[in-house]
Amino acid sequence: MKRWIFLLALALGLALGQEAKLKACFIYVGPIGDAGWTYAHDVGRKKAEAALPWLETKYVESVPEAQVVPVIDRLVREGCRVVFATSFGYMDGVLEAARKYPDVIFAHATGIKRAPNVATYMADFYQVYYLNGLAAGALTKTGKVGYVAAFPIPEVKRHINAFALGVRAVNPKAQVLVRWINAWYDPAKAREATEALLAQGADVFAFTEDTPTVIQTAARKGAYSFGHYTPMLKFAPDHVVSGQIVHWDVIYIDFLKKVREGVYTPKNLEGVDYFWLLQHKAVEMGADYGVPINPKHVPLLKAASMTVGGKKVAVYDRIMALLKDMSSPKPTFDPFTGPIRDRKGVVRVPAGRKATLEELLTLEWAAPGVVGDWPGEPK
Amino acid sequence: MEEALLRAVLFGTPILLATLGALLAERSGVVQLGVEGMMALSALAAFAAALAFGPSMGILAGVLVGAFLGLFHGIFTVTLRANQFVAGLALSALGLGASGLLGKRYEGLPLPAPLPEGGFALLAFLLAFLLHAFLFYTRTGLYLRSVGENPKAADLFGVSVDGVRYLALGMGGGLIGLSGAYLSLAYRPAWTDGMTAGLGWVAVALVILAAWRPLRALFGAYFFGLLFFLQFRLQGSVPIPSEAFAAMPYLLVILVLALSGRAQAPKALGLPFERGR
Repeated sequence: MKRWIFLLALALGLALGQEAKLKACFIYVGPIGDAGWTYAHDVGRKKAEAALPWLETKYVESVPEAQVVPVIDRLVREGCRVVFATSFGYMDGVLEAARKYPDVIFAHATGIKRAPNVATYMADFYQVYYLNGLAAGALTKTGKVGYVAAFPIPEVKRHINAFALGVRAVNPKAQVLVRWINAWYDPAKAREATEALLAQGADVFAFTEDTPTVIQTAARKGAYSFGHYTPMLKFAPDHVVSGQIVHWDVIYIDFLKKVREGVYTPKNLEGVDYFWLLQHKAVEMGADYGVPINPKHVPLLKAASMTVGGKKVAVYDRIMALLKDMSSPKPTFDPFTGPIRDRKGVVRVPAGRKATLEELLTLEWAAPGVVGDWPGEPK
Repeated sequence: MEEALLRAVLFGTPILLATLGALLAERSGVVQLGVEGMMALSALAAFAAALAFGPSMGILAGVLVGAFLGLFHGIFTVTLRANQFVAGLALSALGLGASGLLGKRYEGLPLPAPLPEGGFALLAFLLAFLLHAFLFYTRTGLYLRSVGENPKAADLFGVSVDGVRYLALGMGGGLIGLSGAYLSLAYRPAWTDGMTAGLGWVAVALVILAAWRPLRALFGAYFFGLLFFLQFRLQGSVPIPSEAFAAMPYLLVILVLALSGRAQAPKALGLPFERGR
């Protein structure tokens, strides 16, 4: 009898011990190893697990967007209390599952629909793109900056526009030539799109695609480029100037801590939307971690100048000053501060105010200087 | 314009090599749908070997792995007489999956000394003519074609049907492997999962489009390369949406396939050979 009680207590203890850990599960749209989107999320997951001793994580990779619900079913059965779905296309599936499992907390990356138990989150690059645009504007000799773009959706358009606004702030006559490849991952298309832009005279490149193809292609012709998503300096040490780097772990750790502390419950997430920027350290400007600008190109950017408020300043100093400002707890500068007109001359952000989050998330217009096809451009 | 022609050749090269490889196998009567997976695995092998032992060993590794996979396909299609379509699809899936799994630690690594594309392009160009000469002007080539057309007759003449098919699969596999090596050592000197991105399937379609003739494959591959480049070169300067451009090469392939009607496929293509049946 005593032994029975002992065993029961042991089992209960183990169960409680299990219970003490928070189980968070991640659903990835691609394979982890692609050095791009999914890879970065997985780095975030690992860092969160290392930082939070009470956290247990699990992930499922390469989940097709239409099959997210059965995967969630399985994860919930396995005891996941928090589910992170990391692709825009999971949106409707997540909302369906959220109705089915009202006690589970869901967080959907890049999503725009929420529910009492569904939050949304995004580490956004638009500020970093503006800063990189300043550098690109200073570095172009032909006045043509190339952009190899994935899909024509608001997120990518917002980034191209921020980049173009930066380019034009330094070089008011410069053009940003955009080519759409209609894919997140397609090195062959990225390669040939870059070649096409090189043939048209572009000499500085930025892009949205999950491989360093654009960088490698540009470097062969001696053109500068900006890395995307993860540090890409090593692929062209002489030609990568800077780039956009993500830190999803910052969001994951904050979110999970708040779940653990009871701040976030399955009842109060309707208003929770992380749109984290430089000030939250969710993104970084850099050719590599901790290297905002490749030291090889610093002299060039110091020699180039631009006019700010009627005064001449070195582009390098301007970039560093804005980077510091936007990384501070209370930034005073925002790239999308009016007056901003689109390339057709329509006022998109009136003078004296900042674009709202809503405006940024649904942005469809093209900034002045952007040249090329722009699907969905407002009339 | 020069730029467009240059890109047509440089992007057409991996497609051409893979097409020649599949074409050779199919001339002997074995359907080769494994191209995509074979390219992916040989690209990985080439990259790994180039990192460890230098670029020339990279090329060698790519070709050898390709040839090995060709012979592996032969075990199922020639010796075991499995359904060739199913075996090819399985090989593709296996190659893609295995390369993704084995390649994890090579992801995100730069290749210190990328190879020039020009050399590969020239080699591929010459190989198309060489293969043409081999198929139509040599005795072995004649055997190979007759095995693909009428294996029974070839067998009666004392030609080893199985031997010829293995030879064609191995040599073809080597060419497909070379195409993979081009991708990871020259065209895009890096390795990522799924980097073949459908080029193998383009090659499979191009074999039919080229009516199993090496010189037509040469033309077709460059034509595809040209269209692929032009979709980005013209985007924005002509009032056609980018999505339509993206679909253009594939639409053209379908169109040409439809117009070319019944291309003369080797008559025994897809039929396992068994003596006495």
